[in-house]
Amino acid sequence: MSIEHSRRLFLTRTGLGFGWVAAADLLSRASAAQVANPLAPKAPHWPATAKSVISLFMHGGPSHIDTFDPKPALERLHGKLVPESFGDVQLQFSKFREVPVLASQRKFARYGQSGLEISDVFPHTALHADKLAVIRSCYHDGFTHTAALNLLNNGWPRLGRPSVGSWVTYGLGSESENLPAFVVMLDGGIKSGPVVYSSGFLPAVYQGTVLRSGPSPILHLQPPPGRTPSSQREMLDLVQWYNQRHLESRSGDSDLSARIAAYELAFKMQAAAPELSDLSRETEATRKLYGMDEDATKDFGAKCLMARRLVERGVRYVQLWSGSTTGGGDWDGHAQCDKGLQSMARKIDKPVAGLLADLASRGLLDSTLVIWGGEFGRTPTSDGSLNGGGDSMGRDHNPYGFTIWMAGGGVRGGKVIGATDEIGLRAIEDPVHVHDLHATMLALLGVNHEKLTFPFQGRDFRLTDVHGKLDLVKKLKA
Amino acid sequence: MSGLDLRTRESALKGGGRGPALVPGNSGASLLWKAAAHDGDLKMPPGKAKLSADEIAKLREWIDSGAPWDSHRAASGPAWWSFGRVVRPAVPQVRGESWVRNPIDAFILAGLESKGLAPSPPASRETLARRVYFDLHGLPPSPEEMKAFLADTSPDAYEKLVDSLLASPRYGERWGRHWLDVARYADTGGYETDILYAHAWRYRDYVIQSFNEDKPYDVFIREQVAADEIWPDNLDLNGSYDLPKDKQISIQRRIGTGLYTVFPIAVEYTFFGDQYRAEWQAEAVETTASAFLGLTFSCARCHDHKFDPITQKDYYRFAALFAGSEDREMPIVSQMGVYEYTRHMARLVEADQLKAHLRKLEGGKRGKRELTPAEKDQRETLLRKIGEAYYQAPVMYAKANVLAHSEIIPDSHILLRGDYTQKGEKVTPGFPAALAPGPEIDEPTQGPFVPQRRKALAEWLTSPENGLPMRVMVNRMWQWHIGQGLVRSGNDFGRQGDRPTHPELLEWLTAEFAARGYSIKAMHRLIMLSNTYRQSSAGDESKAKADPENQLVWRMNRRRLEAEEIRDSVLASSGKLNLKVGGAPVSIPLTEEERAGMRDFSQWPVHPDSEEHNRRSVYLMVKRSFRLPMFESFDQPDSATSCARRESSTVAPQALMLMNSSFMTGHAAAIAARIRREHPEPSAWVDAGTRLLFGRAATPSEKERASQYLKGGRLEDLCLVWLNTNEFLYVD
Repeated sequence: MSIEHSRRLFLTRTGLGFGWVAAADLLSRASAAQVANPLAPKAPHWPATAKSVISLFMHGGPSHIDTFDPKPALERLHGKLVPESFGDVQLQFSKFREVPVLASQRKFARYGQSGLEISDVFPHTALHADKLAVIRSCYHDGFTHTAALNLLNNGWPRLGRPSVGSWVTYGLGSESENLPAFVVMLDGGIKSGPVVYSSGFLPAVYQGTVLRSGPSPILHLQPPPGRTPSSQREMLDLVQWYNQRHLESRSGDSDLSARIAAYELAFKMQAAAPELSDLSRETEATRKLYGMDEDATKDFGAKCLMARRLVERGVRYVQLWSGSTTGGGDWDGHAQCDKGLQSMARKIDKPVAGLLADLASRGLLDSTLVIWGGEFGRTPTSDGSLNGGGDSMGRDHNPYGFTIWMAGGGVRGGKVIGATDEIGLRAIEDPVHVHDLHATMLALLGVNHEKLTFPFQGRDFRLTDVHGKLDLVKKLKA
Repeated sequence: MSGLDLRTRESALKGGGRGPALVPGNSGASLLWKAAAHDGDLKMPPGKAKLSADEIAKLREWIDSGAPWDSHRAASGPAWWSFGRVVRPAVPQVRGESWVRNPIDAFILAGLESKGLAPSPPASRETLARRVYFDLHGLPPSPEEMKAFLADTSPDAYEKLVDSLLASPRYGERWGRHWLDVARYADTGGYETDILYAHAWRYRDYVIQSFNEDKPYDVFIREQVAADEIWPDNLDLNGSYDLPKDKQISIQRRIGTGLYTVFPIAVEYTFFGDQYRAEWQAEAVETTASAFLGLTFSCARCHDHKFDPITQKDYYRFAALFAGSEDREMPIVSQMGVYEYTRHMARLVEADQLKAHLRKLEGGKRGKRELTPAEKDQRETLLRKIGEAYYQAPVMYAKANVLAHSEIIPDSHILLRGDYTQKGEKVTPGFPAALAPGPEIDEPTQGPFVPQRRKALAEWLTSPENGLPMRVMVNRMWQWHIGQGLVRSGNDFGRQGDRPTHPELLEWLTAEFAARGYSIKAMHRLIMLSNTYRQSSAGDESKAKADPENQLVWRMNRRRLEAEEIRDSVLASSGKLNLKVGGAPVSIPLTEEERAGMRDFSQWPVHPDSEEHNRRSVYLMVKRSFRLPMFESFDQPDSATSCARRESSTVAPQALMLMNSSFMTGHAAAIAARIRREHPEPSAWVDAGTRLLFGRAATPSEKERASQYLKGGRLEDLCLVWLNTNEFLYVD
């Protein structure tokens, strides 16, 4: 079907009012290519085990040694300087060789048939131990929040690169016809700003759409007070009436047709999004499962439930943030690390467990890759003193060894991959760099990270730069 | 050959125990060749098969050609089309002479004729006027301006229009914005800290003013790259109230070096001096290469460039041009101005106290809680007061960030894999050998000491030997006028970039640019007065088949308005646009949902004067860590790196923004009020609105359809409908 043909088809359907039918037709798979819909679904390079991704991002950097990577040696060393044999590392605030070791106050236990070790800070998540593949050997070299956030989310420590979600939607397109392909749910401000979900040098169509809670989940989704759906429809019909006449004398301009389609999509979103975010449609049991009946968990619970509803509706990449720069705290435990960890973990534990359970019971977990983690882990040493005062008992940033877990999307759970050293400082066994994580995630989605490229400034860029190893894929699936 | 080190040319020339390995230009006397050719006792490689005859011949050829090495290596490669001197080509002969208004048309027509195509008919005068206004001002013509132009039937009416638009300050605001894209301009440093560059706007205003006064482009380059070295001035403050004229000129020129002070940087506790300098130099190299040379050097930071003849050594020699240069905050007032600056602390202390109140109200770090409506109001009041306190704090006397020099110019080294802790070979400042030859850098060894490195760079960039920078700029101008560059990849004139669609036209225009004293306004006239520029943008099925991407320019390109143009046009249409020129950047009000994701709301002090909220978009705060949602959605570049060409994306959130945002609905209402005020008779509204927003009269069917709408609907909504149409958002 030529552009011209689709345009004529488009015009013949319009008649008196430009209705949903025409738009639905225009945006259907068959004709999407004619208006060059950049979000049309694309075939993966390899057979995929995951169709969508839910990234649970713990902003600030959760402590791995207090959650998924127990280090009994720390109890022995508590209060002492780190033994010389561990050498030195560069940290953000403290001098590694001059600060004492801080033992974990958490109790670890074994869970599930696999006997995975998880601390008492995640009692609900722990019940899903057999779904989790815990990668204890993640590492990179960005020890500041910005560098680390950008590395995890953009594959590059500096500004200007597209985010992971943008690359994924650029590579695979969208399965949803009335929702954005890449959705972000924030908890407040982000330390490095919106760059973590921006499209960088990719076209803006691939940038993350921020979904908010409440009746207007997408920016400017809600018409101003006093405008009814029917008056909105009338206005839209009139816009399109003008646009068609404008197009008639400018035949074959796919940009103009694309904008006509974008207006229809916008109003499909307007119709679909309130239904999407209307969590009252879920049963009481489901809402409880996500902890929506408790003050501490209702916020993140609603986000997790929304995430399930999004992947159910074909959204490709969903990212949930826990931790904010604008109130409510984050995972950045420079002082009283354990207290902060407990307060943050309490907010997400039940919701995350609910999400895993709900995805599994609906058969969605098989095709949805869930990734949990932050921009780095934390040091085995104290950020300052151990005297118990308000600013003591903290942990500094540790990008040299930290934990991320994955579940679903073809990942076989109930296992640990890799290891850090005796004190949890460095990844020493099967180290997994951020680039390897990204390459792996793309591989589970059926995308060859070396082939997903975009030309910019004289060369072909990719998410993994010139790196990215894939040996993790087999280990995850085994 | 004990002791022989073949890793550098110098050590190969020095040789080992057996003497020099290499005698450039004489393979017969070179041990290296003799050993490889098994000519003599020494036979290489030891214990392995002799090299092939072909390989030995190549080795011989290389030595005989002078053994070019490393940065010298590239010189032996073929010159790339874009690197050399500009040679003015002959204007081609064409069959359709009558269409040729100036030589541009001859080049374009020759291309079209070679494919059996004809140019498009001229655009209507209305279309042309709207095109020219947006092109030069980024604003629509007012109905009065349109009427005056249409009424002017003199043969040079169009020329007069172009000239008058070029003479308006609105011109610099539009074309300066183009350059600010190239200069990756922002008011903050980005990343977590996102530090405020409080004086960055002086560079922004310098750019706008430079375009307005038609500063020759070679001077524009010299000032930005090396004003301090070319026009040295100790910039001592004067004791009187006014600065002498020559001082003021020196200051203005020097503000141009602000280009290198508005860069993206993560300022962290852990940043070391060396690391900071390495990052800054890398950024300076990248920006210089992209903005002026249309090349990408950054690959060579870690290894020799894979595609372009830029070695790692070239890279660090180029970076050494910036060694010893550093950002300095400089007072730009007289000593009296400094003296009069007093008692500013009170307001700043007040702002800090207000911030403490705000923190308390929000419940501190751990206790985000639901605020009551009253508390929400209180929070908004506090945020506004903090903003006011900052704005009203007596401004520190005027300062600018410019380039200056450190007391000692540090040695420069190749950094292995780009790592500042791994210093390799020491290098001297210089220019990539494959590009045009550069001047000698002769640095005085005794005082008064003014380094000459960036001066040499500026000379090199503006030397007639070096055709690249002027080709790049001419191409940018063509792209900003026509919509597509003659070279599509405006920041890549290297081997990975696109080849020009009209190489001779590019050469001719570049030669013309030089002949016209690098006057940018002269080039505007040249391009805009051509018949090529005046073509209609209407499609044509058969031509589109032959040249779907319009590479031959058989029609004008239609384009969507850029982010700033959309906002400015809405403001202009509602009559609210505040045309105040220059000054500190303005933060405009954002709704709660619009500012989500911003790291710290107090970093967005909304200007207390609401008139300021209607300033032209080029004067709004450009925050690297947070772009205005409207601008982000309409493809404003992210200021991370130099942007040669904006994307023009079409996404659904744009539609939501244009239909539902308070900015759009508010201004639609203001437009409706304006129409009612100017045309009390409702029957005139549809035509008046069409003229105001589309720059043309309403057709009978439009009158009928829109009037019918108004029977049940509101004029405010009709205005919003118009603002959402493709006709408003695109320029033919």
